[in-house]
Amino acid sequence: MTVSFNYKWFFAVLLSIAIQVMFLRDIAIANVAFCFIYTWFLVKAPMKVNPLLFLLGAMAVGWLIDTFYNTHGIHAFACVLVAWLRPLFFRILTPANGYDERSSISLHEMKWLWFFSYVFLMLLSHHVLLFFLEASDWSLLGISLLKTFSSTLLGMAVFGILEFFNRPQ
Amino acid sequence: MFQLFQFLARQKVILLLLLLELVNVWSVFKYNSYQHTVYFNTTNQWAASVLATTREVKSYHQLRVVNETLAQENAKLRSELFRLKSQQQPESKLPYFVSEAMLNRYQAVAARVIDQSTEMSQNFLTIDKGRLDGIQPGMAVISSTGIVGKVMSCTDNLSLIVSVLHTSNSVSAKLKRSGELGYIKWPGYQSEVADLMDVSKYKKVVKGDTVVTSDYNAVFPPNIPIGIVAKVGVEKDDTFHDIKVMLFTQYATLKYVYVIKNRLASQQASLEASKPKIE
Repeated sequence: MTVSFNYKWFFAVLLSIAIQVMFLRDIAIANVAFCFIYTWFLVKAPMKVNPLLFLLGAMAVGWLIDTFYNTHGIHAFACVLVAWLRPLFFRILTPANGYDERSSISLHEMKWLWFFSYVFLMLLSHHVLLFFLEASDWSLLGISLLKTFSSTLLGMAVFGILEFFNRPQ
Repeated sequence: MFQLFQFLARQKVILLLLLLELVNVWSVFKYNSYQHTVYFNTTNQWAASVLATTREVKSYHQLRVVNETLAQENAKLRSELFRLKSQQQPESKLPYFVSEAMLNRYQAVAARVIDQSTEMSQNFLTIDKGRLDGIQPGMAVISSTGIVGKVMSCTDNLSLIVSVLHTSNSVSAKLKRSGELGYIKWPGYQSEVADLMDVSKYKKVVKGDTVVTSDYNAVFPPNIPIGIVAKVGVEKDDTFHDIKVMLFTQYATLKYVYVIKNRLASQQASLEASKPKIE
């Protein structure tokens, strides 16, 4: 990883959090599809990131989002658990020829099947945790599942679109 | 110790995960009013159901004590009832006042049946109250449904009762509706049925009439239920009805009885003993 990449990623994280809390906070499509763009932090983190730092970082970002959403602990819980699950997803999705030393997470670097499977797993696990903890009630199972899947699909579309701005020159 | 640190170092990721998630879950349920409510409602429900079950089990084991206290309360209420009944003004127009001694004439004491029989032709009961509880031979014993018998002998803590189901224990009785007098005598078989004797066949007796203790009874207070007339027959050459009475009291399942103290019994007995003998 180059230092410049880290800076880029760091500012992208700050930007995604800012967009999240300033604009996307109040937006929901048909009241079921929510866009959680701050998961950029989790999705696009370098593959060889230090797991301890990553967990602490996920905690910090989740906590920050929680502060703006008035949902103490819910986003942080989902973020930390997904940050811990991320290596597992990498292992599940290992390509036939293994990961490259220079591998980074982008549509350009990886094939689109790998990229969207990965984003799907990340967002789904994050949203499942998020919405089910938010509902805290099995009688809301149906609406929670609907929210989870619609938000995951929306998130995949958004991350796919963002990848077009991430093309190497 | 070193191995412990090694272990902690190896598992640092999962330990950090657990720590952070614990903090998160705690804050979710601590600071979010909705989740807070859900959590406390759920725990309250569980707690409530556990407590309810415990209470049920406990109350089952307390039933014996509860029965005891209920029986004692009933005894108190019965004493009160006797007082209130004797307070009732008779139908005569003459001025009549009930004396305080008459009002407090009957007092009930609850007792538990500890032994009994119903199958013999002479049946007895044993109860767990005796002389120390103020029980004397000759006192009446009733149950919540009707008459039971008469105290025959007492020890300090126990008493023996001659059941109504005893061929030589007769009880002065009357028909509640018509006021006809007679006496109840058990024929020596069938614990549910007794005979009502001495009712003239010229009096009207209807099946279903209630039989109660009479006002002239030396042992029982008046108007204690005995049973209902189940069968009325008249023998052609007899002067009396042949009445079968279905007894109210289920002797086989008696658990608690009330011993009735008659405070004027000795006065009445000595008065009646001073009657001039007919030579």
